[in-house]
Amino acid sequence: MRRAHLLGLGFMAPALLITGLFFLAPVILTAVFSFTSMSSGTGISGGAYSVSEQTIRELPERGFPQETADLLAKDVYRIDEAGLSDLSANFGEPFSKQVRKALSGKVFDGRKALVTEMKKLRERPRSVRQLKISADLFKRSILNIRFDSKAALLASVSDIGISLDASQQTILAETSYTGWSWTTDNYKLISSMPSAFRAAGNTFIYVTLTLSVSIGLGLLLALATFYLPKGQAAAFRAIWILPRILPPVIYVMMWKWLTWDTGFLSNFLLNFGITPRNWMLHSDINAWVCIVLINGFVGASLGMILFSSAMRAIPASMLHASEVDGANRRQQIWHIILPQLRWPILFTTAYSTLSLIASFDYIYLSTDGGPGRSTEVWALYAFHTALNNYGGALQYGLGAALALMLVIIGIGASLFYLRIFNFNELVAKPRIEQ
Amino acid sequence: MTSNFKSWPITIFLSILSLPIVVMFFYLILDTVTDTTGGSLIPDRLTLEHWRFLFETPATGRASIWKVTANTFIFACTTSATVVATSLTAGYALSRLNMPFRRFFLGGVLTLHAFPTITLIIAIFLMLQMTGLYNTLAGVILVKTALELPLGIWIMKGFYDTVPWEIEMAGLADGASRFTVWRKLVLPQVHPGMAALGLFSFLAAWSEFILPQVLAPDGASQVLATYMQNLIKDDVQPDFNMFKSVGLFYALPVLIIYLIFNQKLMNIYGGGSKG
Amino acid sequence: MTILSSKLRQSTAAAVLALTAIAFAGDALAKDLTITVWAGGSGDNDVYRLDAIEMAADILSREWAVRGDELNITVQKKRDFAGWPEFKQAVTLAAESGSAPNIVVTSHTDIAPWSQAGLIVPVEDYVDLDAWPLNNIYDNLLEMTSYNGVVYGLPQDAEARPFFFWKDTMKKIGYTDEEIEALPTKVELGEYTLQNVLEDAKKAVDMEIVEKGYGFYPRVSNGPDYAQFYQSFGGELMDKETGKLVLDKKAMTEFYQFFVDAVEAGVTRKNHIGTEWDQWYAEVASGKAAIWHGGTWHYARYTGKEGLDDFFGNIQFSLIPAGNEEGHPNTITHPLAYLLTAQKDEEAVEIAAQLIKIASEPRINTLHAIKSSHLGITREQSNIELYANDRWASEATARLLPFASSQPNNLNYGRFSEIMFKGLETAWTGTKSPADAVAEVEVEMKALLGNDLIVR
Repeated sequence: MRRAHLLGLGFMAPALLITGLFFLAPVILTAVFSFTSMSSGTGISGGAYSVSEQTIRELPERGFPQETADLLAKDVYRIDEAGLSDLSANFGEPFSKQVRKALSGKVFDGRKALVTEMKKLRERPRSVRQLKISADLFKRSILNIRFDSKAALLASVSDIGISLDASQQTILAETSYTGWSWTTDNYKLISSMPSAFRAAGNTFIYVTLTLSVSIGLGLLLALATFYLPKGQAAAFRAIWILPRILPPVIYVMMWKWLTWDTGFLSNFLLNFGITPRNWMLHSDINAWVCIVLINGFVGASLGMILFSSAMRAIPASMLHASEVDGANRRQQIWHIILPQLRWPILFTTAYSTLSLIASFDYIYLSTDGGPGRSTEVWALYAFHTALNNYGGALQYGLGAALALMLVIIGIGASLFYLRIFNFNELVAKPRIEQ
Repeated sequence: MTSNFKSWPITIFLSILSLPIVVMFFYLILDTVTDTTGGSLIPDRLTLEHWRFLFETPATGRASIWKVTANTFIFACTTSATVVATSLTAGYALSRLNMPFRRFFLGGVLTLHAFPTITLIIAIFLMLQMTGLYNTLAGVILVKTALELPLGIWIMKGFYDTVPWEIEMAGLADGASRFTVWRKLVLPQVHPGMAALGLFSFLAAWSEFILPQVLAPDGASQVLATYMQNLIKDDVQPDFNMFKSVGLFYALPVLIIYLIFNQKLMNIYGGGSKG
Repeated sequence: MTILSSKLRQSTAAAVLALTAIAFAGDALAKDLTITVWAGGSGDNDVYRLDAIEMAADILSREWAVRGDELNITVQKKRDFAGWPEFKQAVTLAAESGSAPNIVVTSHTDIAPWSQAGLIVPVEDYVDLDAWPLNNIYDNLLEMTSYNGVVYGLPQDAEARPFFFWKDTMKKIGYTDEEIEALPTKVELGEYTLQNVLEDAKKAVDMEIVEKGYGFYPRVSNGPDYAQFYQSFGGELMDKETGKLVLDKKAMTEFYQFFVDAVEAGVTRKNHIGTEWDQWYAEVASGKAAIWHGGTWHYARYTGKEGLDDFFGNIQFSLIPAGNEEGHPNTITHPLAYLLTAQKDEEAVEIAAQLIKIASEPRINTLHAIKSSHLGITREQSNIELYANDRWASEATARLLPFASSQPNNLNYGRFSEIMFKGLETAWTGTKSPADAVAEVEVEMKALLGNDLIVR
């Protein structure tokens, strides 16, 4: 490999490392997660095998014999030799002796009963935790123990004298497993849930309307400031760049203040006899208008800047010529300026479509998808599902499946745009070392 | 510009259109130093009461504003520096160096450039957990950098593309290595690009909200965006005048940058997205 | 006893190693420790959720000092989360990444998923529930902090969620003082139902005593409160036999219908959900609303920040009235619990357990109970002057607590409640009819809860 190659790869390395770790790897992981049942109940890092009351209730439903389930449900503590020798190894001979003397051969139902007895012994460990640990040495049941592996669970089951056939073992292991499993259910769920369809519809509304406002308003601003005297134009541009540069948290807070029941709009309209209302959340229409304006203004900022700079590139002679020819303003815009803006508009549309499909921060901060779920777009739906809901039921797997669909749309659209914008032209070869 | 067009109808039209922003912004500033009786639009007294959050010791279980501000500065500056440094080398490689997979890298940069990033957050969390960076500012910085990089690289490539080839050719003819040529001759040519990208990433990181909220909820790594949102969502102190004061405090660096570098920003926001 | 006891032996050995230091040390010990505690949904009145741990740390280290050992605990407190969703997200992710706070104060309904995922450890392994002060905690509260028969957390507070009536408004629509006094009993007996609520609220609106939309003024966000209305219409959250969640379609439809009727009658605002809490508190505490519902802790807010001096002179409170024949008047108590997270450092867990035990002592818990107007967790609190002299605590305890039920500790309850509320919201805002909303709820619940759901 030539030196320049090495230099090139070396120069790329930091960027590749960071994007690889925190961008590409997450994409792959998201794809992997989407085929799991991961949730806050299963945990991410893998589960344990634990037979609980809940498991015992479920077992018979899955064809596990009721009597065996009942046996498993017993929380037995038996003072036997094995336990006593464990006790003397860990907690010393005197305590072990006392336990042997007072309790040998006894069987207790549950730890509580045993601990109560142990508390009467003088040599007992003084710390509650230790006492309970010492009692656990006599546990001859598997109830509520978290086993790391299926083998450990089954071995312990046979240790306590319960024999299971192969199919029962499978049922027990499956029912008692607390972790996640591989599944394609997430995709089935998405296709069967009304809320997913609504989220898709909402996304469509959101992208279409916001895009129209962004592009339309952006174009309008660019054109208008183009014709204004320099000072005025600069002032308007300065105002309209604010939505874009103010941090979203502040920007949305300002909108809330504007639209709240006790906010500016309500107070202002009160003078005209209109009852105060929450202009942001009054109805789904209100919410949509707010969402579209909040996002649209931000988009318009970007549009204005892009289109303005494109318009500055139009040769002044062309404009003067058209005026000499007697073109009015509309004709000038229509025939001279807009054709020149074709590519910037197309580009902005493409770019904004993609970022709008995936963005949700302004919605999250303003309506949070409400009222009802009327402004919950797909990306926010994924976020709510995976990470953010009142019940704390975080469904990572389902959320990842939702996110992955956006990722696929994103990649597809990007590749499509690369074709439109003529990728080959962009990657002209370097001129040294040809 | 052109004399045969009257401009006042446009001025009036634009003024009406801009009214919401002007009103919001005007009151953002006004309300931080005044009090208004409920139901009225006009404030009736001056006060500095709303700025007390700067001096009070934080209530139990709340972060201190100064600590949070320091965090935000560290977060924004480090992110900005990392993005610039990484884009400087990668942008040059993509613009000028002949290397394997160049086409692929460029395509990758362009694809990632407008990509649904935030939806990957669950998986990003897992990456941070694996690397032990969850709940640290460093983790959020790396993630933010990763998300900003495609755009950064693309912008820097654009700036390198405008540097005349002759400069490099001449350097090489004098016997310097490619690396030396880059460092001594090419870098000075892209200083404006570095500054612009630095500002841009600083602002992007300064505004970032969801990443710190999800990836570093710990009080020790809170930033102003999450601090402010927590304040707004807390139902005990919902006092818009105070929110606005905190908001203005939070927005100050943005506004200062904006006042000083207005024109540069226009260029970078415009130029940055030219595909 | 090969595997079982070897498994136990492993954990025992580790635990013994860690604890020998604490229990059997002959020499004087010095120990520095940082205990982190996070509290969800906590406003300024709830700071004792955190401060109690600090007080406990002080007591514990004094106990060590008396014994001749040295224990320095730094308590790191955090409660500034944007809301419950953000808090739960933070705790879950932090626990997954092994950096969980030692102690979390959260809803008891989180116990099911978090214990299943191994994020929290049973408190009963670390403390003696048969010794004071824990044997003084109400048994039903301890039941609420248990899952699968294992006690996972210690109740941190108790509460009830009453209905409130603004007395002045009630008088203006024709109630006498005696009738208002008798109202709680009538509610309790099922003689005053949610239909009467609608009628009275409508009267108040029609007579222009309160503004339109302020006749009945419910909670502005999701919460256990709405499960109360489901119960009012005969809905049951969990089937006792099987431990499965129950979707009673008839009850759910009628419960949605009630709110739709309220909107149509003009007594409740269509866009009510999402109202700012601040505004809401100010309005109900100043009599802008005729009838509303809330929680016992609202008392602190009304009489504190909102400046309502004479609570009992202005407000009557009762259970949530029954909705129909099948339903019954009820209230939900939703205790928060101190939970211990799983930690690598076994010793830190043990110390944390000691801290939450001490924080549960009647005196310390009373500070929280009275400051935040929650109800006590131990029987003995009625002997503490601060508690006994508080009219609100004693009256609310007597009138509400005997009828209080709680939400089930079920792995899927979080999803259940989320879907139920979203369904309510779609019906309430008129996006869908109650029947359609319930149909959607049914589809979603079936899909997401699967075998864990019974549809009636």
